Amino acid sequence: MAASTSYETFIGLEIHIQLLTETKIFCGCKSKFGDKPNSNVCPVCLGYPGVLPALNEHAVELSYKVCRAMNCDLAKEGMFERKNYFYPDLTKNYQISQFEKPFGRNGYFEYESGGGIKRIRFHEIHLEEDAGKMIHQGGRSFCDYNRAGTCLLEIVTEPEFKEPQEAEDFLQAFRRTVRHLGVCDGNMEEGSLRCDANISINTPGAGLGVKTEVKNLNSSRFVKKALQYERRRQEKVLKSGGKIIQETRLWDEDKSVTESMRTKEEAHDYRYFPEPDLPPFRPDQAFFDMIEKSQIELPLARKQRLTEDYGLTPDQADYIVEEKAAADYFEAVVALGADAKTAAKWIMGNVAKELNRIDLSKADLGTEKCALSAERLTKLLGMLADNKIHGKIAAQTLAAIFNEDKDPEVIVKEQGWDSSADEGDLEKIVQQILDENPRVVEQIRGGDQKPRGFVVGKVMKATQGTANPQSVQSIIGKLIG
Amino acid sequence: MTELKEHDKDINSFLEFASEDAAASVAASANQDGPLAGLTFGVKDNIAVEGMHLTCGSKMLKDFVSPYDATAVRKLKEAGAVCVGKTNLDEFGMGSSTDNSALAVTNNPWDLECVCGGSSGGSAAAVAAGLVPFALGTDTGGSVRQPASFCGVYGLKPTYGVVSRFGLVAYASSLEVCGILADSVDTTRKVFEVIKGKDGSDQTSIDHIPASADAETVAVLAGDLGLKPEVETAYKKAVDGLKSSGMKIIEVELPMLDYGIAAYYTIAMAEASANLARYNGVRYGHRSAEAGSFEDLMRMSRDEGFGDEVKLRILLGTYVLRSGFQDQYYTRAQKIRTAVRNEFDGVFTKADMIMLPAFPTAAFKHGDQSLDQFQQKLADKFTVAANLSGMPAMSVPVSVENGLPVGMQLMAPVFAEERIFKVAEKLAEVLPPAACPLSMAGQRTTEAK
Repeated sequence: MAASTSYETFIGLEIHIQLLTETKIFCGCKSKFGDKPNSNVCPVCLGYPGVLPALNEHAVELSYKVCRAMNCDLAKEGMFERKNYFYPDLTKNYQISQFEKPFGRNGYFEYESGGGIKRIRFHEIHLEEDAGKMIHQGGRSFCDYNRAGTCLLEIVTEPEFKEPQEAEDFLQAFRRTVRHLGVCDGNMEEGSLRCDANISINTPGAGLGVKTEVKNLNSSRFVKKALQYERRRQEKVLKSGGKIIQETRLWDEDKSVTESMRTKEEAHDYRYFPEPDLPPFRPDQAFFDMIEKSQIELPLARKQRLTEDYGLTPDQADYIVEEKAAADYFEAVVALGADAKTAAKWIMGNVAKELNRIDLSKADLGTEKCALSAERLTKLLGMLADNKIHGKIAAQTLAAIFNEDKDPEVIVKEQGWDSSADEGDLEKIVQQILDENPRVVEQIRGGDQKPRGFVVGKVMKATQGTANPQSVQSIIGKLIG
Repeated sequence: MTELKEHDKDINSFLEFASEDAAASVAASANQDGPLAGLTFGVKDNIAVEGMHLTCGSKMLKDFVSPYDATAVRKLKEAGAVCVGKTNLDEFGMGSSTDNSALAVTNNPWDLECVCGGSSGGSAAAVAAGLVPFALGTDTGGSVRQPASFCGVYGLKPTYGVVSRFGLVAYASSLEVCGILADSVDTTRKVFEVIKGKDGSDQTSIDHIPASADAETVAVLAGDLGLKPEVETAYKKAVDGLKSSGMKIIEVELPMLDYGIAAYYTIAMAEASANLARYNGVRYGHRSAEAGSFEDLMRMSRDEGFGDEVKLRILLGTYVLRSGFQDQYYTRAQKIRTAVRNEFDGVFTKADMIMLPAFPTAAFKHGDQSLDQFQQKLADKFTVAANLSGMPAMSVPVSVENGLPVGMQLMAPVFAEERIFKVAEKLAEVLPPAACPLSMAGQRTTEAK
């Protein structure tokens, strides 16, 4: 996609993430999706007369954890406000949100894009309750309030992305980060991570233009596509002497276009005012200490460290850091003594193949679901390094670990795959085969290396595949010289 | 129960009585050793009682039955008291006469042609008529104290947050609190001891840390307060009564009272506009039969379900919260609120208590044109200060003038409820409360265990 040459582009994102809390933000209902409609509800989240909200402290902790990770100024006093608008999926017809005093302000986040590191600044991060879901079917409308009152964290960036590609790169990195933090599962298709984008263009140096907001973006790819479309549309309007109207537009993924939804004149006046049912949240020093302690190395820093400290390629580091579980697993294996590069190669290769075969993913590494504990992989790689087994046997052993949930040395022993049968034994076998095939010996002595393979094959057959082909080669060299 | 219903026929203080069976089974299973064992009580119909209606005096919730108990109600039940029914009120607590109820007209037991006050009018009338020794009310701007004054009973508005609001149908959340209407200071005290305390379901609730109960000096207002003669007379009697029981009286000025009304209504209506937004016919309550789309459903259900006074307050609340106008109205009202609190704090450095009239008039007649809805709002000037500042205040019956009772309001710093009770008891010794002529003889149970 060719970048615009005559205009400067300003893109901002507004992201909502569903926090991984057990219960909803203001009541004890389960925060669970996909259950029977209206099964996880109570008078509080249904907005019955007389009920009051009781703030879920875990949601506040997770919010501050994100704010801290995103380098925000953490609020010494956070406040909730009512955002007023009428819609059937909003049980109280106001949403408890934050406005004047959000938990986080003035943050920033670094991500990789276009081969370098870029930084995006955050305007604010605030906690709010989610609305229910309206389902329109056969001319009728239904409301499911299971989602009503679940914990939602809103992250608003400054309009500082210059290219749609940057927005996509950022979103992927951001998703990875919230998953590492363990605050959100980041599933855009299912809506646990949602993104609206705003974009304006203007002649260079003239500052922000009139922006449009694009909604209904269910993947980071659509964010890019919609922004590319919207930038072209705005360029056309301006080039033909028209004016951009400030409006909200919907992305139509079938037609790959944005369409007008409502203009500024139709926009709501939300009449924010402080939520009188919730006192301001004023965390003590112990709370801030706890938040500080909960911080982890973020994926970008970890990736850089893996390449620098262990000599991994950027691709390897990227692959491993994509899931926190995989990165933790990798480092556990290295800590147990495995060679880092070999471990990375195996995790990306044979291990990935095996996980795929049994319907697991690298996110399951190091969990109970996965029979290949860090210890087992370390032992397996150790046996390989010590030439106790060779590559093909190692791959077979790996599969057996997953199939039989046994330690690698047990499997190798049971199967008789141990090739460490001492060199003397192997030498005898090679000698015997050479004795049986004098012509081959002649050929090798004459400089023809091809019959070497024939000898190795014979040895492998005689040892039922356990012999290390490289050892056999060197024995052949030694015996024929 | 039959007797209660019979006696309430002309007064109409209850909107619903517990069924004979339900009341009997509750009474049988009640905590016989609880501090309130054997006491019956009424509950203003904007406070939730499980299995009973929660109409809020509105067509909107006419058929709504509460699936849960308010915290205050649960505590009363646990203490052995038995709820006999739900009392009438101005719709959603908005009014000073109970005539804004969409469901029934309640008459003052002292004079059936007069209103019982509001908005907790049904609760006040029920206690005055001796139907119950106490009843729960709610006080947003005087809604417990003013009807208490009109009906000659005690009416306590506790310190804000000391009684949980969980189960109180919100009108103006930052101002209101569950209150007590009772036939004696002692009953009031016992009920207060039971219902007070921090509640996990209401994060604005707080534990009660009693302030000093000693009172020597009482501040009163001097000059023309715009009182009707009967209230003027009663105020004088009360001041004399305090003097004769050994209290020192000082005169003070409270110029902020005049600004308090505007601030109070601005804040109350702003909060009401959001609090009442949930009634839209979608999940419960009145649903318009005419609507085609869901937008129409919400609009028409609200149009049909709410009365005029409620609509007026929602509209004004929506108006003052408009973006760009908040500094002019809502924020300014909050500043006045602080100024009112500061003014009272200043008085409390000189006096232990303040006594003000509860209302400038005694009970007025139904449909009295001289006191229209706007005049009634202005007349709240003596009561709203306690709601704006959060301090406790109690209306105490001090006199009967021309056959109608008049109450005075004792106000004290936050957590000083016991100080109020003590002074109220002293006043009761010198000015014993008169029994209501229509009181149900023999049913008044003033002795709690």
